[in-house]
Amino acid sequence: MKFVQVDETAIRPAPLSEASVIGWLHKNLFSSWLNALLTIISLYIIYVTVVELWSWGITNAVWTAETRRECFDISIDGACWAGVTQWLDNFFYGRYPREELWRVNLGGLMLILWMAPLWLPRVKGKIFIGLTTVFLYPFLAGYLFAGGDKGIFLQVMVSAAIVCLAANTLHSIIGMLSGRSLPEFLIRTLGKEKASDATQRNILIGLLGIAFAVVFVGQMGTTAVIVPWTKWGGLFLTLVISGIGIASALPIGIILALGRRSKLPVIRVLCITFIELFRSVPLITVLFMATTMLPLFLPEGIVLNKLVQVIIAVCLFSGCYMAETVRAGLQAVPKGQYEAAHTIGLGYFGMMSLIVMPQALKLMIPNIVGSFIGLLKDTTLVSIIGLFDILGMLRAISNDVPWRGLHVEPLLFGASLFFIICFVMSKYSRHLEAKLSAGNNH
Amino acid sequence: MTSMKTTESHGQLASAASSEVIIELNKVNKWYVDFHVLKDIDLTVHKGERIVVCGPSGSGKSTLIRCINHLEEHQEGDIIVDGITLDKNLKNIDHIRTEVGMVFQSFNLFPHLTILENLTMGPIWVRKMPKADAEETAMMYLERVRIPEQADKYPGQLSGGQQQRVAIARSLCMNPKIMLFDEPTSALDPEMIKEVLDVMVELAETGMTMIVVTHEMGFAKIVADRVIFMDAGDIVEQNEPIEFFNNPQHSRTKLFLNQIL
Repeated sequence: MKFVQVDETAIRPAPLSEASVIGWLHKNLFSSWLNALLTIISLYIIYVTVVELWSWGITNAVWTAETRRECFDISIDGACWAGVTQWLDNFFYGRYPREELWRVNLGGLMLILWMAPLWLPRVKGKIFIGLTTVFLYPFLAGYLFAGGDKGIFLQVMVSAAIVCLAANTLHSIIGMLSGRSLPEFLIRTLGKEKASDATQRNILIGLLGIAFAVVFVGQMGTTAVIVPWTKWGGLFLTLVISGIGIASALPIGIILALGRRSKLPVIRVLCITFIELFRSVPLITVLFMATTMLPLFLPEGIVLNKLVQVIIAVCLFSGCYMAETVRAGLQAVPKGQYEAAHTIGLGYFGMMSLIVMPQALKLMIPNIVGSFIGLLKDTTLVSIIGLFDILGMLRAISNDVPWRGLHVEPLLFGASLFFIICFVMSKYSRHLEAKLSAGNNH
Repeated sequence: MTSMKTTESHGQLASAASSEVIIELNKVNKWYVDFHVLKDIDLTVHKGERIVVCGPSGSGKSTLIRCINHLEEHQEGDIIVDGITLDKNLKNIDHIRTEVGMVFQSFNLFPHLTILENLTMGPIWVRKMPKADAEETAMMYLERVRIPEQADKYPGQLSGGQQQRVAIARSLCMNPKIMLFDEPTSALDPEMIKEVLDVMVELAETGMTMIVVTHEMGFAKIVADRVIFMDAGDIVEQNEPIEFFNNPQHSRTKLFLNQIL
């Protein structure tokens, strides 16, 4: 049969069942009698729950009162949010001295200031900024939170961190305004852009030295009041523990995952043992072991406080879980990528850091963020071994005389707090995934 | 059909082989666990020589060239590349790999990097070339494979033929002495085979030492100084292309040529 097309077939709009609200409703909610019934029942359940919650939590709720009894006097079948608002500081900071709270806030603000440039499009040198966040910020924040005498090492690190933070911030502002880096800006301002590379480098090192000296002399006179770790608590403590856990999980995980895939049997067996040991034990057991058994393994004379023990335990635990995630990512990278990296002459470390790891981590973003979220929630277990983190404080309120027996409201508040943090994290991971996969799908 | 077009436009290339030996294999044996893949392979390749390796699948031809840059390890015999014997010494292996470029059947571009970054990765990190120079070289090779306008795209946005040309350019950026091709056109749609073969013919014209595993017999006729036929881990027959195709000696060669031509 012979056929030759004469006219192109015309394009027509989709039928109404595809492209209208009624069409959508019919297709998705009322496609059969059973589906219609289920839709109506579900809507009814949602309606009843929302109405109940609304009247209990909003219309009948008490927002200001001094004690739980007062709450009941005002409204017997409403939520007593007064207790939550009165205890807000406790939830956020635990028993951190009230007149020193600014230190915690300042620490948080510094972290935001430090990391914000990582999201600004025109700023250069993001790897450097990221590295200094991991290696310098903890010293500054640690001293700010704990206070007390600083040894010479801490003085140097704190000064370096302050200089770095100032430089980062300046660099970001200049970068956003002009697209230049701080060194380029300084050299131009001094009119030395014609000088040789060596001279330029010397000028920059000189400026850095002067800044460091000024900060170092300045900080010598100031000492922050000691706040013992036993006073740390609330959301602040939760974020400290999980923050350190999250920051160290990836490096530990990467090292363990590479070790597990190593060709050297000793390293491989060591890593497998370590990973499987930690993964086969619940976190709460690891925490108990860390606080009771770790001191037995330490050399005599070294006494770690409970917080440090807990943090070490959390880091190792999260690192081992991350190791398995990273390993899954490594296995998902096709063998051809390893071979191609070899054939352009890259050695093991070049291949891993430039070719394989970026792809593996990108593939694993949802899992990585998932385990970060898990870690954040898991750290509430430290309340069982006597640390007053957010969960500890949410439960402590019911033992406070004026608010005795107040359980539901603070826990609901805590739940919403966790939901917000975790939801933001998972949304961000989606965004990151979309951004990284833009234009480079296999 | 595509390869016939190539033949018309180019005609047989003159040999560029010199007397200098650049690859030497002596009694090379390899096993995958207990499967004997390469059996007593002897092969000498001269500088500038262009060799096409063909044979049925599973005959060991890919394994042979993958041994030359040590993507596969051989168990017995010597492989000497550019005067260096391949052994357990990682330094030697890394050095040889910088001198030997390789193009794969499945392209193996780095999907997380742009085309330009794919090309500059080796020169910058292995050859320690300044970034600006590396990019200049990369653009030169991209022009040679006729896709400079794709420099800022990601591999996933390119067609198979374009990706394979990028892969060739990526190898050339390392300025290798030898190029290995492992079935470079087997994963391509028919209409893209020619653009890749044309680039390879041009490369051959520059006097590059090439070992090509392929079933593109038209390409072999124009470019090859020597065609090697492998079967079951043996080199069964090798000869100049005209003799090889017109007057095959071994019964297995005859059978193979009957099946593919």
